[in-house]
Amino acid sequence: MRIEVEDLVLRYGDVTALDGITLTLEEGKIYGLLGRNGSGKTSLLSVLAAFRKPTAGRVRIDGQPVFENGRVTSRISLIRDVGETVNIGTGEEALSYAEALRPNWDGEYARSLAELFKIDLKKSVKNMSKGQRSAMGIIVGLASRAPLTMFDEAYLGLDAPARQVFYDQVLADYLAHPRTIIMSTHLIDEVSGLFEEVVIIHKGRVLAHEEKDELLAKGTSVTGPAAAVDAFTAGMTVLGSRSLGPTKSVTVYGELDDARRRKAAESGLELGPVDLQDLFIHLTAEDGAAR
Amino acid sequence: MKFRILLANCLFALLVWAAFWVLVTLITVGLGLTGRLTQSAWEVAAQLPRWYALFFGVSLIHEYLPLYVAHGRTRRQFGVEGALTLILFAPFLAALLVISYQLESVLYGLAGWPHVLERAHMFTEPTQVPLVFTEYLIEALAWSTAGAFMGAAFYRFRGGGLLSIPVGVLLIAFAHSAMGVEPWGPFLLAWLRVLSQVVFDLPDSPLMPLLGTVGVLVVGLLLTWAIIRDMPLRNQAS
Repeated sequence: MRIEVEDLVLRYGDVTALDGITLTLEEGKIYGLLGRNGSGKTSLLSVLAAFRKPTAGRVRIDGQPVFENGRVTSRISLIRDVGETVNIGTGEEALSYAEALRPNWDGEYARSLAELFKIDLKKSVKNMSKGQRSAMGIIVGLASRAPLTMFDEAYLGLDAPARQVFYDQVLADYLAHPRTIIMSTHLIDEVSGLFEEVVIIHKGRVLAHEEKDELLAKGTSVTGPAAAVDAFTAGMTVLGSRSLGPTKSVTVYGELDDARRRKAAESGLELGPVDLQDLFIHLTAEDGAAR
Repeated sequence: MKFRILLANCLFALLVWAAFWVLVTLITVGLGLTGRLTQSAWEVAAQLPRWYALFFGVSLIHEYLPLYVAHGRTRRQFGVEGALTLILFAPFLAALLVISYQLESVLYGLAGWPHVLERAHMFTEPTQVPLVFTEYLIEALAWSTAGAFMGAAFYRFRGGGLLSIPVGVLLIAFAHSAMGVEPWGPFLLAWLRVLSQVVFDLPDSPLMPLLGTVGVLVVGLLLTWAIIRDMPLRNQAS
């Protein structure tokens, strides 16, 4: 499903959670939604799923408004840590509600996922461990096969092997049943392999929205003698720096053309890639965000 | 599946009722055998199902509305199904109470105990099935409607939901006044005597119970709709 967000504002009383977000997400991709705590990720997803009415601005999904529009919302699934899709009776009951309410529900797939996550569906969901409740949410989110599927920190409490099962299943099911998937996460290193595009929001605004590879190409670490590094990076957007004795490593943001790269080599500087998590940390650091 | 909530709650209520019936029967037999049984035990026990109806109304908004919205239903769609569920669940509860009185009547008849009522009701004998059904139908509708309204207020406004309690009390008191039956019963009045003052002086007409019930239902559901029509789902678990 294609998502168009225009000048979106969401306020909780005096607090502005979303401050004029404008964003277009094309259908059929896996998006990573990144942001620090309180940046507005959950608020944005809540508005996209019609869990909340925006204070101002416009949200259209496949060209239609989303809030209280059943033709659109029936094709959207947002799985959150809150667990509103599963906190009802036993695991079996939670799945039966999903089956009754979700038009594309795949019960067989849901049961196979329950086996993968080792979930006892006869148990009350509220009595399950945190990780098991998260797994229930993931099962409902994936087996719903909603054309717009969103996971907001849906893995909380899952151990590392279970999280890997989650990531593997997201990819496998996306390939088998292509749809738009948005994953909000703090475990960037773990999940970034899935992302085709990345949206970074900070203080309720879009800080970056690019293809993941293009975004990564904009971050470069420059390492070498401190004086040479300082000279090379003068005038560039510096996201962060670290020094160890006479050696300095600086992370810069912005594409380096061939001339720059040659100059770095001539100066004895080493250029290296920056992984998504490091880039995110630098971009959303208070000074980086204000670049 | 339509009315999934109704079916699930009817099944659950049936199980709770079966357990409750066993408990009430054991107490009844105990009192009867010790010579202390002077009235219908279900007349006293029936004060608890009204609280069950209240919390059913609360859960309708607190548990099921977030579930339905999270599964892609609109608040309007849920509002329609929720209202129909509430209206259809009430006769189910009333029917369980009718059965309870009927079974009790058989037990009292066999044991030779006095099957008498000590409080004012729409019925004068526990075996007057249509009147027993009507009274508990009105009661279940009023209490579950008040529950839905208060559940919506607490879900949306959290602590501010406290302000909805007086309105809920008025809805319940109005429906009970309309049928001329004391709403609060000895259980609650022992703690909150002020509630005994909440009584409406309504015209004594055979149509009054019907008008009162419809009025409470319409006003209660409209007030609930006013709260939930654009209600956000909470970002954190309650």
